[in-house]
Formats: sequence, structure tokens, C-alpha cells
Amino acid sequence: MNLSVLDEQKFHYCCQLLVQQSQQLKDGWCWETVTSSDEGYLKKIIVRTVVIGSRLMWNHESSRTSSSFHQKQEDQMCETENLNAEADGDDEDDGLCTFSESRSLVLQYEYHIVYSYSYSTPVLYFRAFSLEGRSVSLEDMWRSVHPSLRLSLQKNRLSTISLQEHPLLGQPFFMLHPCRTEEFMRPVLQDQLRPMNYVLVWLSVVGPLVGLDVPLKYSTQLHLPG
Amino acid sequence: MADDKDVLRDVWFGRIPTCFTLNQDEVTEREAEPYYLLLPRVSYLTLVTDKVKKHFLKVMKADDVEEMWFEYEGTPLKWHYPIGVLFDFHASNTVLPWSITVHFKNFPDRDLLHCPSSSVVEAHFMSCIKEADALKHKGQVINDMQKKDHKQLWMGLQNDKFDQFWAMNRKLMECSTEEGGFRYIPFRIYQTMIERPFIQKLFRPVSPEGTVHSLGDLLKEVYPAALPSDGKQKHFQVVIHGIEPLLETPLQWLSEHLSHPDNFLHICITPVPSD
Repeated sequence: MNLSVLDEQKFHYCCQLLVQQSQQLKDGWCWETVTSSDEGYLKKIIVRTVVIGSRLMWNHESSRTSSSFHQKQEDQMCETENLNAEADGDDEDDGLCTFSESRSLVLQYEYHIVYSYSYSTPVLYFRAFSLEGRSVSLEDMWRSVHPSLRLSLQKNRLSTISLQEHPLLGQPFFMLHPCRTEEFMRPVLQDQLRPMNYVLVWLSVVGPLVGLDVPLKYSTQLHLPG
Repeated sequence: MADDKDVLRDVWFGRIPTCFTLNQDEVTEREAEPYYLLLPRVSYLTLVTDKVKKHFLKVMKADDVEEMWFEYEGTPLKWHYPIGVLFDFHASNTVLPWSITVHFKNFPDRDLLHCPSSSVVEAHFMSCIKEADALKHKGQVINDMQKKDHKQLWMGLQNDKFDQFWAMNRKLMECSTEEGGFRYIPFRIYQTMIERPFIQKLFRPVSPEGTVHSLGDLLKEVYPAALPSDGKQKHFQVVIHGIEPLLETPLQWLSEHLSHPDNFLHICITPVPSD
């Protein structure tokens, strides 16, 4: 079996395991099915505060290192009901908020992991809304990418994040382009000594680029069977 | 083979007579006349409507103008689908010219992708070609091309230059004779029964036993509802570029000749008109 290629069945299996782990860790991932179809996708909703400076905006969460702290502070859920929980949880935050003219904004981020038949890889789709329901533009989305990553990503702008149609929902989402995925996943998965969850490993690489952290606990938990 | 080359030309030069009308809720300084245009089937709405925009801006105040978008009978039109696909899917079997409503306000950003410039169309177009080649040749052909070759594909489409485009696209349509076709056929099926934008799966042009797959075989596998059941009346039309190809047509041939410039075979399933 070619380990670096992910077929649909394997994708579903990896997702199933990820959801199980996520439930134990209360990390908020769930599986959504598409009406009248056997297909679906992984979904997670996060509400978090981002700071918009005059020219700068990044999220506080990604600058933190402690994942347990992260767990407590970040309000993660698959239901959209108690969205306001995080709204005022960020006031006395870390020392990053030093711009006098900056203001913080509460955004609801929605992340989807969808299987791509064409590339045989998972693809990360995401969108963000203000609590009034206004969608965030591509420009603002770029500002929310961590400054240390932004420059290197933007050099290759069109091949990294772009606005695309969600292949299952037909709505506009930001997408991290998958055409390099197989390349960077190959060495990881050729390590046959430790069985790894492809989707989890992949997510831990691409997630942090767009403010989606994968707690270390996923890897310190028991590994997947077989 | 000479005949087959003519097919490529016919597909490329397909046009749809269209009448653009300004949405009546837009504020204008004087009455806006409709604007008529022959739209290339293989192009994209936002790429060929500069004249439409200019025409309507003449009667509007600059303050009232936001991003332009199009609608047909209440449905916002997705610019990132080829024009011919939009017409076949939403408006086939209607009277020509195709009547499109133009909007400059209330951009439906939960339905449509923003298209601030033609570079966005270019990025979309190239990403489709890339994806199609990932299916056909594991991306090897497109990755072996140089940047100027990619540009040639795009410029060919943008400037409606058939020869310029096909001089390069030819390479993307090559396949080894021993395999009898592409690795997988890049296709998308548009339909109204399942709530999703299109169906896209992996499907090979030839079966493991060496049988050539036809359009009918593809539908039987991924969307059987489109096919008439034995002895029953036909409920759906299977439309590519405004025509109904025979279901026996080999899929590989269709992929090489009836694909859009984005290298996908776009197949529309629409109800048979009742009259």
C-alpha cells in the first residue's frame, strides 16, 4: 500500500478517529454529512478575538504556547448557540495589545476539512464572520495570519489562500491550496515505525498557518490502533 | 482526425446572444437601456463584461456603485463557472436572447465569490487546469510547463485566441496510447436533485478489463438518476456545450474534445421541457 496517498476510505477512518479524540479533549471537531449523499466533512467552530491595528491584526491565541491554557480560554464548539461566551473573555489578555489605536474584534471562525478526490488529500476550508454576521474579506483574512508567516506565504499568494467555492456546500470559503500537500506529507508518512493519523498530522502542519492550533495532547494520547 | 479538430473550433467559438438589463432597484440618473452581447461559451462572465459595466455606469452615480454581479431569474450567477455551463444549467430551453440582470448593490457574498480583478479569474482558471492535470497525469504535464506556457493558456482564453491556446493545451490533452486514455477523467456534473454544487468523483476512461467507458457508463456509476429507466419516458437531458451527446460516446473522446478550456468536462443534467 502506498502510505503517502490518502484514499477516501482512509480519510473517513482518520476523521472518525480524530473526532473520537476531539471528544475526549473537548476540542470541538465534529463530522457533518451532506444531505442525500454519503459524503461529509470535519467541522469546527471557534470564536476568538483578533486585534486590528492600523496595519496589523493577529490573533492572541496563536501567540500562546500553553495548550492547556488555550483549552480553557478558547471557546470551541460545534453548535453555534453560546457564541458570545468568548466575547469578553479576552480583555485582560497578554501583552500583545500595545497599539493604542488598535481595537479588538470578536470573530467566529468556521473550519472545514474536506476530502479532495483530485489531489487525494484533505483540504482546509474556512470562513469568518463578525458577530453581526458580516463576512471577513480576503484582505482582513491575510492580516489575521501570524506576521511571521505572512510574508513567506504572501510571496506565493495565489497558490496559498484564496476564496473558493466549498465543493460540498457551494458557498464561498477561504481555501489553503492542496497542491503541495502530498509533497510535504510524504516523508512524514513514510515513517512506518509509528502509525499516525494522516489527517491529524496534516492538520498540525496547516492549521497553525490560519490560527487553528492542534493541541499537543492529540499526540500524547494513545496512538491509533493498528 | 481533421473532423475532430473542427469540433475543438466549434466548441471554442460557441456564442450565446445575451441581453443585460439593469436591476430596477438601482438608482440611476436616467433610464438605463439594455445592452446586448454575444457571450463566448468557454469564457467567464467577469472576463467579458467590461463593456456592460461601462454601459451602465454612464447612467449611475459613482456613490451608488459597488461590485458588479449578475442574476438570472432570481439566481445569482457564479462567475467562476464557464458561461456555457451557466446557460445550459439555468437557462437552456428558454427563449433567446438570454436575459441577465445586472446588479451594483447588495453583493450576495454568501453565494458568490468576489471578483475584484481579472487576476482573480486567472488564478481560478489556472487552479482548475492544475486540478484537471492532477487527475489526468498526476500533475506532471502542467508542472513541467514553464510560467510563460501557463501565461499562454491564460492569454489564449482572455484574448479569445484559439490557436495560441490550443498550441499549449494540446500537451495537456496527450495520453499514452497503451493506457488508452487519461488516468482519471476530469468532469463535473451539475444537477438539481442533490443539494450540492456539482458531483465530482474519480472515474477512469477504461475499465480494468480494458472496456472503453462511455458517457452512459459514467452516469450509471455516479448519477444513475439522470438515465431513463427501460421503456420509460426520458426525464432528463444530458447536456454538454448546449448539445446532447449520445450516451454511447467514449468518455475519453469527450474529455479531449468537449472539455472547457479549464480542462474539465462540464455536464449539465436538466429536466426535459414539459411542452
